[in-house]
Amino acid sequence: MKLRIILVGQPNVGKSCLLNALVGPEVIVSNYPGTTVEVTTAEKTVAGEEMVFLDSPGIYSISDRSEEEKVTEKALFEEEIDGAIIIADSVSLERSLYLAFQVLEAEIPVVIALNFVESAEKKGIIIAHKKLSKILGAPVIPINPLKKWGIEELVNALLEIKETKGKTFTVRYDDHIEDAIREISSQVTRTQTQLPKRFVALRVLEEDADFYGYLRDKRTIEAVKEGLIEHPKVAEDIAITRYGTAAFIAGKVTHLVHVEEAARSLDERLDGALLHALGGPILTILTFVTIFGALLFIGSWIQDVLTGFTEYLLSLIHLGVGFGGTALEAGLAGMMAGISIALPYVFIFYILFTLIEDAGLLSRYVVNLERFLRWFNLPGRAIIPLALGLGCTVPATRSTRILFTKKEKFFTASLLSCVPCSSRIAIIMGVVGYFGGKWLALSVFITLFVSFLVWGYVVKRITRIEKKPVLYELPELPPYRIPSIGNIVTKSWIRMKTFVYLVVPLLFLGGVAYAGLDALGLTNVIVAPLSPITWWLDLPDVAIIPLVFGFLQKDLTGSMLLLVLGGNVSSVLTPLQIYTFGVAATIGIPCIIALGMLIKEFGFNKAVLLTAASILYGLLFAGLAWRLISLF
Amino acid sequence: MTGESDILRIVEEDILRILGEEKSKRVSLESIKSEIKVTYLFITNAIKELEREGLVQSQGDSIVLTKEGVGKAENIVKRHLVLENYFKFKIKRTRSEREAHKMTDILEHYISKEVIEHIKKLSTFKTEGFPLTKLALNKEGIITDILFPDYGLFERIVSMGIVPSEKIKVMYKIPDGMVIYVGGKKFALGNEIAKGIEVLS
Repeated sequence: MKLRIILVGQPNVGKSCLLNALVGPEVIVSNYPGTTVEVTTAEKTVAGEEMVFLDSPGIYSISDRSEEEKVTEKALFEEEIDGAIIIADSVSLERSLYLAFQVLEAEIPVVIALNFVESAEKKGIIIAHKKLSKILGAPVIPINPLKKWGIEELVNALLEIKETKGKTFTVRYDDHIEDAIREISSQVTRTQTQLPKRFVALRVLEEDADFYGYLRDKRTIEAVKEGLIEHPKVAEDIAITRYGTAAFIAGKVTHLVHVEEAARSLDERLDGALLHALGGPILTILTFVTIFGALLFIGSWIQDVLTGFTEYLLSLIHLGVGFGGTALEAGLAGMMAGISIALPYVFIFYILFTLIEDAGLLSRYVVNLERFLRWFNLPGRAIIPLALGLGCTVPATRSTRILFTKKEKFFTASLLSCVPCSSRIAIIMGVVGYFGGKWLALSVFITLFVSFLVWGYVVKRITRIEKKPVLYELPELPPYRIPSIGNIVTKSWIRMKTFVYLVVPLLFLGGVAYAGLDALGLTNVIVAPLSPITWWLDLPDVAIIPLVFGFLQKDLTGSMLLLVLGGNVSSVLTPLQIYTFGVAATIGIPCIIALGMLIKEFGFNKAVLLTAASILYGLLFAGLAWRLISLF
Repeated sequence: MTGESDILRIVEEDILRILGEEKSKRVSLESIKSEIKVTYLFITNAIKELEREGLVQSQGDSIVLTKEGVGKAENIVKRHLVLENYFKFKIKRTRSEREAHKMTDILEHYISKEVIEHIKKLSTFKTEGFPLTKLALNKEGIITDILFPDYGLFERIVSMGIVPSEKIKVMYKIPDGMVIYVGGKKFALGNEIAKGIEVLS
């Protein structure tokens, strides 16, 4: 029997970091609350016992309001689990206990892992963990996952986790509420995973409609509530009592020591600048411009080195005998070209993004950029998928899960049409910039930005997304941390892994496919029927090949353009044509992998509709743009 | 399950409060039993414990406070009154005083002394709090109420530690919103949400 353990904790409390210490480094550890939106599992055999760990997104409470809470709730109640590790923050123990009490109400055995013990002590907060353990009837283990202490004790406690069942602390509500709980409990008929009746009753009183179905007669709810004259808002009183109990117990086990306060900490000075009404947005935009600049300059430098290396490498191999040889060579050429064009941009982007995320800067940027996203009626967190979109559209689409409503998710995913991913940036830099000059590349970027605003305005109107209160999701601003290099490299690698494993083979296959079409003389099958598009874009007919192949894998666009035009692009195309090509190739859902992710997240119909609409929009925009420019 | 020792402690505090509220500092065992709804065993144990600590004395069918007991009981009564005032104020908009008393009964055991001290310092709760949006920058306030029509938002905010009786500070104003500091953590929120958090300073 495998022991299945779920890790639960507030955002940014060190869950993923603990998982890392428990099983190894293949887990994303982040300092931006809400980066994990799925339950990740990891297995390890300890002391002859097979253990499965489930990492859940950070939450403050297990009610199913946000996606993170839904995911965690589902994992807690629908999966077969043997227990939970509650990762508690020693600096604010009561918040962690609130969450722990909710889990205990579901009679799930827990072990409390007390994290940040040292930073609490620096603030003069000392926690008597043995006393807490006695009160809760569950093990409380101080840990430091970074230094790897407490991990062994934690694992030992997990091996005996089942024995705590039935002996643990439960919050007691006042007599009236307890009566109501008893009354509703008696009406509970069936539960899927044998959730305790008392727990179901509490959730019913807390207005969680998902649990109404477990009652024999739903009218009981109204009757019981009407009987509760002492508690006209019983749900609120339950939450307050639960928190009050948490605060009471936290107070009981906490010993406060006076600590000299630092004059004005670095954190405050940083926040003073980063959250300044005017300075904040300026600094935020400057950061993004810097990232962009770094992408362009360092990226193109690495690209040069890699391209030289690739050419040297390809000159060494001669496979060009017969069709097989040609195809293989084309495949290798496509793959190497794609790698040298896209890899540097993807790599630099993820390193930088991970750096600002881990340093705690990202949440400040979210707050500062919220006011711009408000134009589209989107919450501040939408900036996370949009920023990730500068790396790769595929994980960016997945990360729209951190948003609250379906409409917000879909709208944000649709905006990714006009956010150039690193492969698209590579087209703009490697094709438009290389053959048309940097000012031409810049004008493509500006055109993309305009197309982003227009698209956002139109889709906002179509989806009728409603306006929400400003910062209604109350983002937490975590303390700044000096990021660990090891963590950044691991995390960037995990994020790049998809690119390497999925995209590189596709690049190879794309090259082979093109060689095949060419050998069979089938390229015309694509070129002829689509000639109206190239007419609209004022491009040579064969230019449709890189556009079509680009949809298979965006990095094919550049290498294909070189193949079909035969080398020197600037002698075949005018600067305006290069510009038009650049715009047409970069607006729209970029590739088939992104379409696949859209289908996974939003269903086939919506995904195909969005992809088709966004590509048509890109072509329309490109055609209109060059016509407009040629007027002057 | 609340630990037995917890119940015992709660019952002890309740007995001291009932005695403290009485002018004669003397109450019959019967009336204690009728006021505290726990099994008789807990009451007798609690009284034994209080006697051992020298806070009360049994005299026949009645219980009397000792000299030390009077001091301790007065503190408990004060705390009870402060909380009751708070809840009366909170519940004024909704229901009866009986309810306020009931809420006080539960919560007084759960709120730390430090918080009580803080609440006492406030000019009682006769005046209502004001919305957080009106709290001056960098000035410490106390949350007196959370007013949201939607329980989802209410519960989310409470679980984040933004609860009545917590200290709160507005650290930065940002356009249409603010950054607050509550219980060692910083959160950003918009003015519209902040209006639902009432405070006193």
